[in-house]
Amino acid sequence: MKKGIAALLCATMVLGLTACGSDTKETSGEKKAEASPASENQSQLASDEAVKKASDEGWEIAVVPKDSTNPWFVRMDTGVEEFADTTGVNCYQIDTGEIDATHQAQMVEDLIAQGVDAICVVPVDVESMDVVLKKAQDAGIVVIAHEGAELKNVDYDIEAFSNAGYGAFIMQNLAEAMGEEGVYTTMVASLTNGSHNEWADAAVEYQKENYPKMTLLEENPRVESNDNGDTAYNAAKELIKTYPDLKGILGTSSYDAPGVARAIQELGLQDKFFTTGTGMPADNAELLKSGVIKSLTLWDPAMSGQAMVSLACKVLAGESITAPLNLNVDGYTEMTEREGSKTVLEGQGWVTIDADNVDSFGF
Amino acid sequence: MNKKLKSTFKSNEIYIFLIIIALGILVQIRSGQFFTGNNMVDLLSAMIVPGMFAVAEFLAIIAGGIDVSFPALASLSAYASTRILLDQNYDGNVILAFVIAMAIGALLGAVNGFLIGYLNLNAMIVTLGTSSVFQGFMQGALRAKQLSVIPSGMKEFGTNSFITATNKTNNLTSILPYTFIILLIVCAVMFFILRYTIFGRGIYAIGGNPVSAHTVGFNVKRTKFFMYIIIGMIAAAGGICRVCMMQQMHPTNMLGMEMNIIAGVVLGGVALTGGAGTLIGCILGTFLIILVQNSMILLGVPTTWSNVFVGIVIVVGVALSAYQSIRTEKTKKKLVKEAA
Repeated sequence: MKKGIAALLCATMVLGLTACGSDTKETSGEKKAEASPASENQSQLASDEAVKKASDEGWEIAVVPKDSTNPWFVRMDTGVEEFADTTGVNCYQIDTGEIDATHQAQMVEDLIAQGVDAICVVPVDVESMDVVLKKAQDAGIVVIAHEGAELKNVDYDIEAFSNAGYGAFIMQNLAEAMGEEGVYTTMVASLTNGSHNEWADAAVEYQKENYPKMTLLEENPRVESNDNGDTAYNAAKELIKTYPDLKGILGTSSYDAPGVARAIQELGLQDKFFTTGTGMPADNAELLKSGVIKSLTLWDPAMSGQAMVSLACKVLAGESITAPLNLNVDGYTEMTEREGSKTVLEGQGWVTIDADNVDSFGF
Repeated sequence: MNKKLKSTFKSNEIYIFLIIIALGILVQIRSGQFFTGNNMVDLLSAMIVPGMFAVAEFLAIIAGGIDVSFPALASLSAYASTRILLDQNYDGNVILAFVIAMAIGALLGAVNGFLIGYLNLNAMIVTLGTSSVFQGFMQGALRAKQLSVIPSGMKEFGTNSFITATNKTNNLTSILPYTFIILLIVCAVMFFILRYTIFGRGIYAIGGNPVSAHTVGFNVKRTKFFMYIIIGMIAAAGGICRVCMMQQMHPTNMLGMEMNIIAGVVLGGVALTGGAGTLIGCILGTFLIILVQNSMILLGVPTTWSNVFVGIVIVVGVALSAYQSIRTEKTKKKLVKEAA
């Protein structure tokens, strides 16, 4: 018995050693893309009447991010700076340091004391921020929020998109990858996650109307990834085994598509099986460049920042804000009111991330 | 022979094994995909990290304690070591990653071991606390965020194939990465330690009855201390395996695994009260959980019901093993009575 164990131990050790030998194989396809979010809307932005007026009057517009060190908000800062450069409007993003609700509220109080003309804020904590924003409004300051639909004391809140619109957009990306035909299914973090399921529902709806050759996998129309790349990977492998006809998985959470991509790679199904979904550029640069994933979907914080400032100019200039609203910022040219809300405006601010532009975001 | 067969059927492991086979046949009937090479490889590959965590948890439970901090411990050690190697632009092989992670794991395990062993505090409370501390340290002091690029040596180790299985009918190729070897080594070493060393027997003894263990000469405090160090090392190695296989480090990805791991260990007939259970049972129990979790789609269970199904298997399995231990207890008492 002991001998047997000794032999087993030796065998595993030897195997372990051979396992550690490594051959180096590097594939680096670094592509440098220019980091400019500019577009034809930019020129129209500078000639917009409200923006001109803001520039002439020297109105001061401050943008308050959640965490100015976070690459997401560094990107927003890039957008705001560009707005200032091209239009001459006195707008800037303040330095908040690390994410901290109390600190953020304090910074807004300081801006009120300074007497800025407009505050654009991405709130860390809705409840504590709402109290401070009340003070700002009482002081006659225009308040624009982003990703804070629950805020009450604001002039307007800007959302990059409606859930239905974004879902349809993800479907467009999947359909393009799949060649508009074949069986697909949807993946969400959990069946109880509100926005993910709304995106997936809207995606399916959009497919039924626009891609007659595509079909939703009836036996299993929605699987869960638990916001975990490993679960997404295992679920994808199981789906592929069980349903030989399946050709695509529409992901929603930012863990879905990367997890599925790992399965595609391992099973050798590149260009035969497709996935897309929300994803952060830097985290997925390699997967996009290798071609396992054709495209991912996201919204661009630089554009959100510009949209906030542009709207602040309009409100300050006394323009009436009516849907469809054109802020002369990409993705924010036909903003509509959210149903049942007078302050929330929704754009079409989604973007496609692919191998060509993945390096241009800086996050 | 008859006696041996009888004792086999008295053990809990055989029932877990039978459940596994039965489930396998069920999946085979429903999908025709169970007894295929690539499915087996998929299951083994899904087993690697939970398997290592289960062995770690098994030690804690055998000794009459419990450990709910291992996911946080593994995350912290794996994150720190991957970060260190990335900062150094390290491009050597994976061994250094394991060495650094296991050293950090040993250190963190020593914290648990000191509090539980030498200060004699409740293991559940201590590890709940240290779990928060480890997580907090990772998120606060290290400002952990996803590392989407890992050192090339780690990536190769996690993606190079040890066994490749191709399904001839649908041409799907699954690979079993070399990390599987790490699981085998951990199992082999722990099997040896638990069976043939004083330290290993001590773990069983202090779990059975710490007072008598102390009386017969086991150093209870020291045994617990070193045991939690080993747990930390195994968990950290598991963390590195996870990072290698995922080809990225996600700091919160492993958190929350503890409950299913504990369920798997208990399923395998390991007594939560300590002192009883086998490594084989622990591995079988964990495998059963992995099997159920990764066969829901093959079985055609709708997503809405899959959690219910996993839950039912756990409850049935634990009930069976509890019933089994009661039965053994009764026969033992009967034997004692007859002897008297």
